[in-house]
Amino acid sequence: MLERIVKAYNEAVFETDKEAAFEVVEAALAGGLTAEDIVFKVVIPAVEEMMSNITKDPDANLAQHFMTAQIAAEVTEKMLLSFKQPPEIIGKVVMGTAHGDLHSLGKRIVMGCLKALMVDVVDLGVNVPAERFVDVAQAENAQVIAISAMMVHTATGENGASKVRRILHERGLEDRIKLVVGGAPYRFDDGLYQTVGADAWAADGVNAGRIIVDLIRGIKKS
Amino acid sequence: MTPRDILAAAVNGTPAPRIPVFCSLLDQGPRELGMSFREYFANGEHVAAGQLKLRARYGYDNVWSLFYVGKEAELLGCNEILFADDGPPNVGDFVIKSYDDIAKLEVPDDITAHPAWQETARCLNILRDEVGKTHSICAYLTASTTLPSILMGMDKWLELLLIGPADVRDELLRKCSDFYQKEVAAYRAAGANVLVYSTPFGSTSFVGMKRFQSLIMPWMQRDLAPGGIRDIVYYCGMAPFNSVIAQVMDELKINVHYISPLADLAEAKGIIGSQGLTCGVIDDIKMIHWTTEQTRDEVRRLCDIGKVGQHFLFGTGVVPLSVPAANIQAMLDAAFEFGSYS
Repeated sequence: MLERIVKAYNEAVFETDKEAAFEVVEAALAGGLTAEDIVFKVVIPAVEEMMSNITKDPDANLAQHFMTAQIAAEVTEKMLLSFKQPPEIIGKVVMGTAHGDLHSLGKRIVMGCLKALMVDVVDLGVNVPAERFVDVAQAENAQVIAISAMMVHTATGENGASKVRRILHERGLEDRIKLVVGGAPYRFDDGLYQTVGADAWAADGVNAGRIIVDLIRGIKKS
Repeated sequence: MTPRDILAAAVNGTPAPRIPVFCSLLDQGPRELGMSFREYFANGEHVAAGQLKLRARYGYDNVWSLFYVGKEAELLGCNEILFADDGPPNVGDFVIKSYDDIAKLEVPDDITAHPAWQETARCLNILRDEVGKTHSICAYLTASTTLPSILMGMDKWLELLLIGPADVRDELLRKCSDFYQKEVAAYRAAGANVLVYSTPFGSTSFVGMKRFQSLIMPWMQRDLAPGGIRDIVYYCGMAPFNSVIAQVMDELKINVHYISPLADLAEAKGIIGSQGLTCGVIDDIKMIHWTTEQTRDEVRRLCDIGKVGQHFLFGTGVVPLSVPAANIQAMLDAAFEFGSYS
């Protein structure tokens, strides 16, 4: 039965059909699955499946990324209310758009996926000064700072990720806090993330979730 | 032959000494005139002077009447533009903050009477007088299905488009389509002769094929119906769109396509063939760190793919300010050299 539910849910997400995805969830709950089952056996595998599909499928599109995150976040939020015990949180990420950048879509997609993957997100919003990223990450004991930038000058400029890297270095935080970047400019030059001093980059919002989870696990292991 | 003649020859497949070479140096203008971005973009004479100086320096075939993308939002009521010292201005405040604002959104009856149009008109007058007979004057016009992203933010627009109330979505699209129709007429009347139809949602990188066909295509048809497709260039904001080229040619009759650097140029040329113009576009973000030799090699690669059988133009995206001048020079030198038919 679970296999059938996962398949139907995945199809709904792939078709960006939120209503159908919720219908699958409701039917699964009525059929005896718990809220925990829905999140850990349906939603999280679906996000992981979409990560894999997006990487393999050149025709994967922005609407699919957006709806994957949107549906995953909404279902998870709803299911969490019925959890018998609060779930174990993997870690914490501080996220925002680079200084001078007001494009919030990428951030929203990443946040939706992270919510479903049980990562705590501190959302700093848009147009975030570099110092604020580091101040909040320090205060919140976050393992990752994630910066989204949609324009070349906000991705590569002196007040964006480069400055965050400099501050992390000056404060001796580089072993405790990792820096990940994403956004259109990085897609056009896959070496750009190294130029701005990031530890990693993600080609899309859905895969950013996986990369951030890996970075958190790496920090926690060390 | 003038650059305009060369462009016409490329579209029609008639003999010409070389391919057309287009370059978009928008953010380089302030530096060229020794001004801040804010000062430069406040005056259409500055923008025209910047465009003319840059074109004269590098010798490419076009000038731009575009100040920055947020200009269209200003025509629809945006009062706050965020200026930076190192890159293009950005919409600083969205006109639509809630669905209620969509009902209140007003498309000006006469765009050319709007205060936000006046500097654009001044710029176009100068460009038309100075180079209008010989060179292409480009205008940037955002499609109805994409314009909402600068009026309400991309994430809010995607939410409305994909899962919002259809009547609200359609009201916004209707207003944006009305705006496009008026805007394209205004630009044509003012002398723009290459009209870049910016339609990222007209790419299956943004929405799936089903939604492209059922939702995006009808609105593009509505945008383009009254004014027609003369001088229109299909451009998806650097997103790949090879998968829809054939449909766009068939249903919209647009035959000039500005191909993404992320797309397979040979495939695009194979689809468009001699029916129109394939524009091969360099990845100018990579040019920030490339050497002049790498830049030259990439131009050569694009020209080798595209210029066989004519019907080919070499172009750029919006070249980032951080691209070294030496790379811009190397790119254009190579485009003229490898784009030569003699």
